Amino acid sequence: MSINQLIFRSLKKNIKSYYLYVFALIFSVALYFSFVTLQYDPAMDATKGTIKGGAAIRTASILLIAIVGIFLFYANNIFIKRRSKEIGLFQLIGMTKGKIFRIISTENMMLYFGSLAIGTFLGFAVSKLIKLILFKITGIDQVASLTFSGQALIQTVLVFAAVYVFIMMMNYLFIKRQTILSLFSVTSSSEEKVKKVSILEIIFGIFGLALIVVGYYLSSKLFGGDFSEMNELFAVMIIILASVIIGTYLFYKGSVTFVANLIRKKKNGYLSINEVLSLSSIMFRMKTNAMLLTIITTVSALAISLLALSYISYYSAEKTAIDSVPANFAFTNTKDSDLFAEKLTEKNIDYKETTIPVLQAEVDISKVLVSQPEGFNLDPSKTSLAVVSDKHVKGVNVKKDETLFTGYNDALAKFMALKDSGEVELKTNKESISLHYLGLDSPTIVSYLFTSGGMPTVIVDETVFAKLAKNPEKDIQRTTSLYIGIDIQDDAQVKKANVLFADLDFQDKDLNISRLDMIDSNKANMGLTMFIVGFLGLTFLITSGCILYFKQMGEGEEEKHNYTILRKLGFTQGDLLKGIQGKQLFNFGIPLVVGLLHSYFAVQSGWFFFGTELWTPMIIVMVLYTILYSIFGVLSVVYYKKLIKSAL
Amino acid sequence: MTILQANKIHKSYGNKFTKQEVLKGIDLTIQKGEFVSIMGASGSGKTTLLNVLSSIDKASSGSILIEGNEITGMKEKQLAAFRKTNLGFIFQEYNLLDTLTVKENILLPLSISNTAKEVAQQKFNELASELGIEQLKDKYPNEISGGQKQRTSAARAFIHEPSIIFADEPTGALDSKSASDLLNKLSHLNKNRKSTIIMVTHDPVAASFTSRVVFIKDGQIYTQLNKGEQSRQDFFQDIMKTQGILSGVQYEH
Repeated sequence: MSINQLIFRSLKKNIKSYYLYVFALIFSVALYFSFVTLQYDPAMDATKGTIKGGAAIRTASILLIAIVGIFLFYANNIFIKRRSKEIGLFQLIGMTKGKIFRIISTENMMLYFGSLAIGTFLGFAVSKLIKLILFKITGIDQVASLTFSGQALIQTVLVFAAVYVFIMMMNYLFIKRQTILSLFSVTSSSEEKVKKVSILEIIFGIFGLALIVVGYYLSSKLFGGDFSEMNELFAVMIIILASVIIGTYLFYKGSVTFVANLIRKKKNGYLSINEVLSLSSIMFRMKTNAMLLTIITTVSALAISLLALSYISYYSAEKTAIDSVPANFAFTNTKDSDLFAEKLTEKNIDYKETTIPVLQAEVDISKVLVSQPEGFNLDPSKTSLAVVSDKHVKGVNVKKDETLFTGYNDALAKFMALKDSGEVELKTNKESISLHYLGLDSPTIVSYLFTSGGMPTVIVDETVFAKLAKNPEKDIQRTTSLYIGIDIQDDAQVKKANVLFADLDFQDKDLNISRLDMIDSNKANMGLTMFIVGFLGLTFLITSGCILYFKQMGEGEEEKHNYTILRKLGFTQGDLLKGIQGKQLFNFGIPLVVGLLHSYFAVQSGWFFFGTELWTPMIIVMVLYTILYSIFGVLSVVYYKKLIKSAL
Repeated sequence: MTILQANKIHKSYGNKFTKQEVLKGIDLTIQKGEFVSIMGASGSGKTTLLNVLSSIDKASSGSILIEGNEITGMKEKQLAAFRKTNLGFIFQEYNLLDTLTVKENILLPLSISNTAKEVAQQKFNELASELGIEQLKDKYPNEISGGQKQRTSAARAFIHEPSIIFADEPTGALDSKSASDLLNKLSHLNKNRKSTIIMVTHDPVAASFTSRVVFIKDGQIYTQLNKGEQSRQDFFQDIMKTQGILSGVQYEH
């Protein structure tokens, strides 16, 4: 048999175990190619002005190649180890290492560049779809056209060729280092042999769990007001990260084994088939896989958190806009608002106008703060706040010596929590007025132009407001002291009104706000982030799923003789499969559940910086991730099924 | 009482063109409580016969009755169920699960039959003391010797009190001391528990521990020897002689 035949035959034999690898490779090439195509697309240039599309996508493609590179490197590592017997055999019959390397490289080259070609083609085909998705979620009105970029092709081929060369170098080193003997025993030496559970491991296990719990606890306290200084905050964040990651590692290294051992001890030697296949196998594998599982868990958690946070921002784009501008359109002078109102009447659009005079005043809120903020550029005894009269606020009536706050931004409220009641001092140019603070109301009543990015608005009695109007602190007043909100009665007509708004030539163009425009621009920004994070997350999911699957393939082959024994003893295929399902539930479930828990606590600790809705977007992201991830668990069970069938 | 009856068993491998007949019409009857060994040169088909008799492999034609049950026509699931209740196995390469302790390995067959925990515990204690492996119960297979492994494997075969125990070269990987130790234990269990044992071996010493030896040559039964009332030494001599004729080469010891 010639070398070429040999290569062809082994390729044919191996293609079955490579199919997922090929799939992952094709997927990543396709994704990379379409990202790069997008990057060189003239249509992206057009949108560059509003959203920094090109740059963001370039960053994304670099990250993508990093993920894919690590994955390919790792997968190749698994495969070359699995073929060590074959390599040893070639050496035994007198083939030189150089020749073996050539065989492996040629075989890999066919597989790799075959996938590269298919991937590029697919990437080209789906680039239109991807562009369409991008335009859809960022709300850009443009026709997605199919463009082929030679530059993108060259870049893709070059980058993946470099990865190939790198992988081949690793293979070369692997073959070079091995003797015939060590090649034969490589799988057995890489997996730790069965050992007794030591006391040290139990201590590690408990310590790991404790570290995770401490990390979670700190994360729930992170923005609760306990750590208000910036340096302190950073230190705590680093402690959380470190304790959770180290805790996860120790958890895999010790806790899982420890818990499994406890269950086994309790059984006193009498194990059911499920326990034989799941418990005992996991117990010994977890330890050797601890590092890999920690990495997969940590990055899963990162991916889920980023996905959840970006989706929260996107999902809350509308709510955020409503919180910063309380009406569909906001004006700062009557001339502009009258002009707009006139146009609306002309077009028969019903509207409601709200006019509120707004003044700025220095307010001493130090007595109603739960704790004194440190490290902020702010003096609580001289906080500049927007003040309005209760005459202009519906449903609110405060007495002369009372005040009500409203519309405090959630994120700010976490840092500077307010008490339920207390005393505040309102300072005019002349005097200082002491007021009973009644509490905090939620709706925003004036636009963000007046509220210094989310500080509460102070509602006072008309007489107090009049005093302030007479002697205001000149320095802190805004260019305008008038807020005019125009609300369109019929939601369906907001779009029409927005067109009118855009066409009018206003006096204060910059200060007039259309909430719809604001929502659109929020969505475009958040949409691009979500788009990129989404595809990166997907790539990560597929690659990490593949790695777990490959690991399972290797484990299955090593345990195949166990299945033979068990079937000889009279266990049916169904019995074994049930046990395997239990095992896979653990193997895929543990990193997933731990990853989900990590991300839950991560998102929980800081989501309010990103939006106003937590549960819906977070749960959607988590459920989607779980479903996609489970596919790999199911695939591995299918693989085991075949293996068990062929075991006897 | 007949426990196993095999009639005209044929077994061939390969397709029409490469067909190779391994078993060529074997008839065998085994009584309850017998300790039978099957001997033959490499390639004579003794292991294939054992596999076919024990339902691990399917016969090409012929019938096999175990305790009145025809097993050649059974489906995969029925066979598995039959194996787990009626048959026990001891293999040359021990076939212990190395992720399980000695005790867990031994109790494995009981877990399929849903035996109560206390009963399982009691059975284990009895058998482990008979085989002298109580001290090893919490050890893993890679921590014990070959002889101990084979005794563990034997305990696993006996624990669920099957009607027949199939042993494929159980002493093949053991040194002579451990081998005779194991064989003594097996014949002890055979007498005490009235269990039927069918053992494949190519070692005349091992065969001399049994009550009957079936010689196989080229897929057919060549002859049979009964121990009868003679001593183990005399039986051993008989076996040696027969084996010498069988192979055409005098066995040198």
